[in-house]
Amino acid sequence: MTIDRRRLVALGAAGAAALLHPRLLSAVASSRGSSASGDDLPAREASWYKKLEEGRVECELCPQACKVADMERGMCGVRENRGGTYYTLVHSLACAVHVDPIEKKPLFHVLPGEKALSFSTAGCNVECKFCQNWELSQFRPEQVTSYDLPPKVLIDAAKKNGARLTAATYGEPVVFWEYVRDVAVAANAAGVRPTVVSNGFIQEKALREVLPLLSAIKVDLKSFRDEFYREQVRGELEPVLKSLQIIREMDVWLEIVVLLVPTLNDSAAEVSELCAWVKAKLGPDVPVHFTRFHPTYRLTDLPPTPVTSLERAWKIGRDAGLNYVYLGNVPGHPGENTVCPGCGEILIRRVGFRIITNRLENGSCPDCQHTIPGVWS
Amino acid sequence: MRTMTRRELALMVGAGALARTVRSGTRKPVVYPGVVGLAEAKAALGTPLDREKAGRAMAEALAASVGAPTGVEAAAALFAADDTVGIKVNCLAGRILSPRVELVEALVDLVAGAGVDRRRIIVFERSNRELQRAGFTIRNQGPPYRCIGTNNDYERQPSTSGAIGSCFARLVSTTCTALVSFGVVKDHDLSGVSAGMKNWYGVIHNPNKYHDNGCDPYIADVARHPFIRDKLRLTVLDGVIAQCHGGPAYRPGATFELGQVAASTDPVAADLWASQAIEMERDKRGLPTLEEAGRPARYLTTAAAVGLGVADPAKLLLVRS
Repeated sequence: MTIDRRRLVALGAAGAAALLHPRLLSAVASSRGSSASGDDLPAREASWYKKLEEGRVECELCPQACKVADMERGMCGVRENRGGTYYTLVHSLACAVHVDPIEKKPLFHVLPGEKALSFSTAGCNVECKFCQNWELSQFRPEQVTSYDLPPKVLIDAAKKNGARLTAATYGEPVVFWEYVRDVAVAANAAGVRPTVVSNGFIQEKALREVLPLLSAIKVDLKSFRDEFYREQVRGELEPVLKSLQIIREMDVWLEIVVLLVPTLNDSAAEVSELCAWVKAKLGPDVPVHFTRFHPTYRLTDLPPTPVTSLERAWKIGRDAGLNYVYLGNVPGHPGENTVCPGCGEILIRRVGFRIITNRLENGSCPDCQHTIPGVWS
Repeated sequence: MRTMTRRELALMVGAGALARTVRSGTRKPVVYPGVVGLAEAKAALGTPLDREKAGRAMAEALAASVGAPTGVEAAAALFAADDTVGIKVNCLAGRILSPRVELVEALVDLVAGAGVDRRRIIVFERSNRELQRAGFTIRNQGPPYRCIGTNNDYERQPSTSGAIGSCFARLVSTTCTALVSFGVVKDHDLSGVSAGMKNWYGVIHNPNKYHDNGCDPYIADVARHPFIRDKLRLTVLDGVIAQCHGGPAYRPGATFELGQVAASTDPVAADLWASQAIEMERDKRGLPTLEEAGRPARYLTTAAAVGLGVADPAKLLLVRS
């Protein structure tokens, strides 16, 4: 298999995870080299949009609500107006496919130690200056090498690789929401649990339609300041907060990740407000992961997040009454462990994405029988 | 706005009455702020321009843009013999509303006539497919010139210019020493106008990220990136057929026979002229102004504010041979 530079980077992003074996991939999927023009991409009519006057369309998938003229694309770069009909160009067109531990998402309260067949297409509906996967998310589908992977093929591959979960991740699943939906349907039919890793920047109707199909969702709450969202993300805070509340209301397992970027969103005041909001609006049992930033993409002039900042956030979260506060991208730190809120004993000990010990018994603490919320079976 | 002849412009320049600004970093820093050279070139929608007529129009517009006696002399004032000249054409709208092959080839001839090796004249667009749809023949090596898509060959790291952060096509960042934007005169659904400046969206990897707020300040931010600002020598606009509504795609019924070719060393002035042509036609048809339609070409003011050219209609100087 020959791969281009971006593909190589995508593979490197898998870290300790295993790449779906190339022979298996080639057996189930045909690859499309990065093609210069979007004409060759498979186009399917999008599910969430409305037609406007004079052949224009308005996307109803994410809060950007792009109004798109004929032959133009939305901000995501993967949806195109062709003669007044809006198409997704990435359904079943995965540009990254890996088998990852579920801890990598991170979803710490979902089948610990299990494998998740993780996939992504190109494109994103925001532009985080600190995007860790920008070589996928900030490119259009014709600019990366992709594989034709219809939902059933993807689920077959998951089963062959012993993955009990799927994860739409790496890029931004909102932009391939129809694919997420159809993979989830196929996964549920096959006894595989579908999960999503998202920025939560999505319109309510689209979110509500797909949520019932999912076993869990992890949302990146990038800051608790709208200014940060506008300047660093090119999104908005309020729709993300609304999504988080809808997810809780619909009783889909939710975990939150907050990437702490030095000087931009790591102040004690902001972290305190964020934690207080989570507790008040979502409840104390929603896990919050504070993770470490590393300089990349357009934010290369900042240092990695000091561990002391992460530890401060960890303390603020616990002091605020959140039961499950974790630290990420600091392998070996005690903040990776799940601790029983009832008795304080360590229930799941982790190092990086590895489970060292798991003492949970039927979702409860074996010492004090405290019920630990999550998806355990 | 004033109008004058090429000869009058030459006299003005000779008398020092028109400042030639120096574009820092360029090898041929000839810029006439506000000056747009114009030539008549008429053809009906969907019909090609006679080759001879195309050659004459291109030469006249180019000569008028710098007050030179001939098109070849104008080209010699703008391009050095050892330049590698990239001519970016905007072919998004297909054959009917892309720069005409015959006009582009007329410019190639003028540049070659000025001493630039034809193998170092590169007509390009984002993809081979788009070029072919607009009627161009892919020529990886030439002759009589190279014609290629950038085909996703971008810089490996994004670079920032104002609000944009993009990977630029290596053809622009590395290969070419001189650039020409060869656009058309058309309405744009979001930016108001798509002419010479917005054409540069075609050399970044992520143009879809920069269409909010009427593409402002993004159009100016792309154009002021050193890869473009320091290499840009000329903007040419094919206004034989223009479109006043429904762009950037071709919209039957919205095109009109403007019958003009424009050339300018001032990219903002060229687009200002295009915006005026579009507004005049909209007015004739009883359409609201671009501002009333919610898409004024705000990027012109932004581009002028960052020193890319002249956006003040009072300072626009239209020159005809």
